[in-house]
Amino acid sequence: MISNNIGLYGGKIVLDLLRDIIYFPAWWYGRGLKQVAIGLKNFLVNKERSLALFVWIKNIFRPMYAQYDWAGILISFFVRLFQIIVRGIFMLFWLALALLILGLWLVLPILAIYEIIFQLAL
Amino acid sequence: MEDKYSKMPFIVCPVCSGTGEKKLGLKCPACGGMGVGSFLDGKFLYWGLSLGKAVINLRHFKKSVDLVINSIAYAISLAGLAALAFWVWSSSAGGPVGAGAGDYLELFSFWRVKHWLILVFWISALSDMFIIYRLSQEEARKEKIKKFRAVGEKGLVKLPDNWEELKKFSGKIDVSRAASPEEMKVVEEAFLLAAKSGHNELLPLHLFFSLLRDKEIISLFVRLDVDGGKLITRIKSQLLKESASSEGKNDLKISEEVKEILIEAYAQAYNLGQKKVKALNLILSCLRHDKNLAEILYDLEVDEDKIKNIIEWFRVNERLLDNYRGYKKAARFKPAGTMDRAYTAVATPVLNHFSHDLTRAAKWGRLGICVGRDKEIEDIFGAFTSGRTGVILVGPLGAGKRTMAEGLAQLMVEEDVPKFLRDKRLLELDVARLVSGATAAVAQERLLVIIDEIRKAGNIVLFIENIENIVGITGGGEESLELSEVLAEALNRRALFCLTAATVENYSKYIEGKALGDILVKVKIDEPAGNQAIIMAESKVSLMEGKYGVYFSYDAIGQAVSLSSRYIHDKYLPAKAIEILEATAVRVGRRAASDPTASLCTAEDVSVTVSEITGVPVNKITVSESKELLNLEEKIHEKMINQEEAVSVVSASLRRARAALREGKRPIANFLFLGPTGVGKTELAKTVSDIYFGSKDYMIRLDMSEYQLADSVKKMIGDVDGTRGYLTEAVRKKPFSLVLLDEFEKAHPDILNLFLSCFDDGRITDGQGRTIDFTNSIIIATSNAGSVFIQDEVAAGTDIEKIKEDLINKQLNKIMRPELINRFDGIVVFKPLTMDNVVSITKLMLNGIGEMLLAKGIGLRSEEEGVVKLAGAGYDPKFGARPLRRLLQDKIENEIANKILTGELVRRDTVVINKEAKIEIEKGRQL
Repeated sequence: MISNNIGLYGGKIVLDLLRDIIYFPAWWYGRGLKQVAIGLKNFLVNKERSLALFVWIKNIFRPMYAQYDWAGILISFFVRLFQIIVRGIFMLFWLALALLILGLWLVLPILAIYEIIFQLAL
Repeated sequence: MEDKYSKMPFIVCPVCSGTGEKKLGLKCPACGGMGVGSFLDGKFLYWGLSLGKAVINLRHFKKSVDLVINSIAYAISLAGLAALAFWVWSSSAGGPVGAGAGDYLELFSFWRVKHWLILVFWISALSDMFIIYRLSQEEARKEKIKKFRAVGEKGLVKLPDNWEELKKFSGKIDVSRAASPEEMKVVEEAFLLAAKSGHNELLPLHLFFSLLRDKEIISLFVRLDVDGGKLITRIKSQLLKESASSEGKNDLKISEEVKEILIEAYAQAYNLGQKKVKALNLILSCLRHDKNLAEILYDLEVDEDKIKNIIEWFRVNERLLDNYRGYKKAARFKPAGTMDRAYTAVATPVLNHFSHDLTRAAKWGRLGICVGRDKEIEDIFGAFTSGRTGVILVGPLGAGKRTMAEGLAQLMVEEDVPKFLRDKRLLELDVARLVSGATAAVAQERLLVIIDEIRKAGNIVLFIENIENIVGITGGGEESLELSEVLAEALNRRALFCLTAATVENYSKYIEGKALGDILVKVKIDEPAGNQAIIMAESKVSLMEGKYGVYFSYDAIGQAVSLSSRYIHDKYLPAKAIEILEATAVRVGRRAASDPTASLCTAEDVSVTVSEITGVPVNKITVSESKELLNLEEKIHEKMINQEEAVSVVSASLRRARAALREGKRPIANFLFLGPTGVGKTELAKTVSDIYFGSKDYMIRLDMSEYQLADSVKKMIGDVDGTRGYLTEAVRKKPFSLVLLDEFEKAHPDILNLFLSCFDDGRITDGQGRTIDFTNSIIIATSNAGSVFIQDEVAAGTDIEKIKEDLINKQLNKIMRPELINRFDGIVVFKPLTMDNVVSITKLMLNGIGEMLLAKGIGLRSEEEGVVKLAGAGYDPKFGARPLRRLLQDKIENEIANKILTGELVRRDTVVINKEAKIEIEKGRQL
């Protein structure tokens, strides 16, 4: 049976910690990156759902409030166009934010290491 | 459900007999340390973690080290942020006063500045990333049980069948890796307990004992209403019986049974779709592997089924919580207004006025939850998708038709519905509002406008509860359409989708066969039975618990379902059970307000509620009560003299009924009492009603000589024109009663036929077509037929059995049909009274008078000779003991009354009946 030995515990724990530190960069650009990408995708999908942008685009030629006369169709078209533009701007903003976060995720480790070297270099 | 908890066949290593260890704690070479395992969907499950004090300590140590590392990382990140903030502050404060915006902008290019504070910040950035990594790793560790495809789906694969192959088999799963922290804690504590007690092996008992400290297990036993202290003491005493090991303490192994339990727990968690194995999963297997444990729990009224049902209950709650979270997420996207997401709908002002928006109510979480109705919901979807425009839910009142509509509204909010229902609203048409204060023509106009609005809007599904309310409202002359036909017409034109509901009776009365009935697809909502009803009630219980500040035991819910289905027949499950639970919660809540420890609603509490509602003593047979039933003969004889045979037949039959050992579909008991007048037939009936139902008021007495004519049937069961039957109405109001049919043989033969079915099925259909339930009644028919014969035979000293036989064969068959005679549970012959009996009866009656006098503070004493004299004067062989009552009235009661009125007899005096059967007064002491 394993002997009751603090050295052995310590060894095991240090080993675990080492494994963590070595595995950590691989995780950052592998599984971690995948998780962040999936999270951002879900975020964008949810934002799209609450803005209903695609619903507006799909229905651009359908009159609003079931006004099937010419004037109704025409007014609807422009109102929808306006809505789509405004909602599109919002969506672009969220998209830019998502891309920014993804970019930061990719750059951050390199930047941090570069900066540390930069700061330490005399 | 059964197979989720099923037992598994295990493969045990013959070399190490399942422990996986050889001497000195080395792995068994034959099985590679697995010891025991089992196949699940083509994978081989085994417990791979060997326990030891050292291993357990290591794990604890590692936990604290992890905590330290995390704290350090957090500290570094905080320090980094602080360093950056400090640098920003110091460099801007050090800048020129009134510096322009450009100077502040420079602060953003801090990464180009060389400063030790910025170095700290960048180092902290690394530690931030490390924290993210560790948190996400921890999160990943939380989900351990992966679904794997069953072997069958991949095609046939030969599974290994010996340990050599198993060691190399790739599809092995170490179930210890999927253990939740709670399960691990339980296992470790069990191990330490075994080690401390110096036991050789880790046994199921150790495991169970440490289970009792788990939070979820504690709440399980609270739900089971088990006395925790008692349970722990009994487990402890079992533990003490295990012999301590004589060898060194280092030799502690995990026993084969415990490994099997751990593997079964994994399989259970897997089958239940859990992500981790929880402590809760262990308990069932523990009971299966240790018969003593099962026995101990059985003594505390806990069995496997109850535990299974509670696990299901916890699961339902968990699922509700999960659903609720997901639901909240999904509900954000549902428009709250009248418009659909594409704004193609039209405002519907008239409809809005006459309806309630169910989807909006669902979006804000105001509707109850609908469980256990997946199949019916599928039916609704199926009907709509197959091109029908209308569905009618047909089911008894309280079976959950409305709840289903609400459930549908919730599904629509989540958009978890077929395509044609997505982005739509479910509106409930308020029929009362539609027709109230309006002539039929106006109501029709309104409905037409509403239908028009719905058609134009195109995003509305209509729900009409109690659809029968719009049937029969017609606007003009005979030829004009009625309201329901307008709706049917619109459905026919596919102008709208409509979900409706009606009770079974109303459906067949008003809808079926009409235009509306043809167009609506019928979806049957059956009354749920047993477990389904329990699950439905469980889903409502947590709400009540919060509302009234009480806690329900599992038995309380089971009791509510079983008692309400047994005793309440004019309502339906689950509504009637939920009603009872709510009433119980209110009462217990009030009790808990004064005494917070009494907030558990037990099965007893539910019984009390049912008893209050139905007026029947349905409390669980308590010790004193069962004693009472066991001594029923004695109890009856306190009030009845003689007739031992009759009393014992009746008592045995009542005991059977109370212990629920009778067929459900018959009255509790049917008796025919035969015997001359005045021998105690009616008296016995009264006594039974008193003892069994708790009061003489539970007796419904019918003198059958009043029902001699053919049309007396109407008098008895009522008429189509609304006249209520005397018998049926009495039993309907008081289903728990003793029905005494005096002089049964005198009734008209048609009435006797009526009882033929009643004795057999326990019900009678009354004049209005309602079914009256007799399954909770005791029916006693009495008859004087053959009383002369009985008297003669008894006088001749014939055996009572022989008298009975002759009576049935020679006398009774002349007045009753043999099939009727056959249906009595017991035919009881009452013997004529002897002089001795009459003396005893006289004493009994005098005791009654004595009790009345005692209330006035007057005593009563009687000489033996006087009593005998009275008995002799009151006894008439022809009329039995009946004249005795009159005699006592004349001779004793009247006298005493006179003496009280004249003031001769006052408090503290004693009335003495002397040897001459005359009254004397013994003056009491003066104060």
